[in-house]
Amino acid sequence: MIATLLVIPLTLLGMQQQDSIAARLEGRVSPGIATLVQQLGVAASARGLPVDPLIQKAIEGSAKGVPAERVATAVRWVAMQLDTAAAALREGGVTTDTLVIAAGEFAISAGLSNHDITALARTGASVSSLTVGLRVAGTLAAMGVPSAENIGLISAKLRSGQPTGDLLLVPARVQAEIARGVTPAQAAAGLERAAAAQARHGPPPGRGTPPPHPPSPPHP
Amino acid sequence: MSEHEFHPLVKQLLDGDITLADLPADLRAEGEEALRLLAAVDRSVVSVPAVTWRVMAGLEQRRRRVRPWLLAPALALAAALLLWIMPAKPAAPALVTVRFVLAAPDAHEVSLAGTFNRWDSHATPLVRSGPTGVWTATLTLPAGQHQYAFVVDGVRWVPDPGAPAVDDGFGRRNSVLTL
Repeated sequence: MIATLLVIPLTLLGMQQQDSIAARLEGRVSPGIATLVQQLGVAASARGLPVDPLIQKAIEGSAKGVPAERVATAVRWVAMQLDTAAAALREGGVTTDTLVIAAGEFAISAGLSNHDITALARTGASVSSLTVGLRVAGTLAAMGVPSAENIGLISAKLRSGQPTGDLLLVPARVQAEIARGVTPAQAAAGLERAAAAQARHGPPPGRGTPPPHPPSPPHP
Repeated sequence: MSEHEFHPLVKQLLDGDITLADLPADLRAEGEEALRLLAAVDRSVVSVPAVTWRVMAGLEQRRRRVRPWLLAPALALAAALLLWIMPAKPAAPALVTVRFVLAAPDAHEVSLAGTFNRWDSHATPLVRSGPTGVWTATLTLPAGQHQYAFVVDGVRWVPDPGAPAVDDGFGRRNSVLTL
């Protein structure tokens, strides 16, 4: 009887997930891709993984006119990266949270390794800060910042306990340094040194509080 | 079992309603016989056969198995699971206004497709500003990480030259926006 009571909600969960995924895919992907995403999505959800990246990748591929078999390969690849990210986060002592796993998956797709994810997880930052840190690290990787400097900078920022708004400004600061003629690695290393010095001596006057404005858009 | 049936008056005698002297003479022998048989009955306590007790014990155990207090933890767990699977309403993320710009002098139409509009290439058209061929769109997006691309003339997917980009898994590049 107890087993029955446990099985019923789990069955409802699977059915609810399938319906939700089917509704989001309706009219956007072929029936074959929809079935695949439903299967992968229910299995991913049962493992505590986010489903949204799978749905997004399927819709993206179909919107771009990519052949169905290639869309299927890409969706399976995302599912594998989600598993890798979740395992790396667990290795770093972070329990499962779909947002942070999705952020880890993005960071991996941008070029970071599972060891990089684990290193950031071991900073002891809160899950919300770590989520932002992973997104920013992925963005820096996409900008060409090598892993060593990237993880060094983001780890220093996370350990400093600064507001996440400050973390979100890092890509724009790296971009500004690159525009001044330094390499992405040099830009990140310089910001890491500044973050370490700030951690030792405290924030400069007028800093240490959340920025009053949202982060700059890509085209201010 | 004997099929002998006593006379009704003899039965009254056995029930104690009448005495042996009250019986007619022709029934007295039968009455005496009935009293003798009654006296011979073993009146010691008779134990219920063990099998009966086993059956009764089984019924008792079965009754114990469905006691409500034992169901309480299972019901609580089931309720917790149902609450867990019900989608919790997440806190609304902060919104950030972003201006997208693409220089495409030869384009007839430019739109924006990405994770924020379910990659719908018709949902977010850019507006051509002046004769320079600069196309712009201003959106308010939730804080988080977004991927996108410009769609030129409905067919050409172009990453934002002013933003970092990642492999999209299909041989192209997606621009990345972290807010």
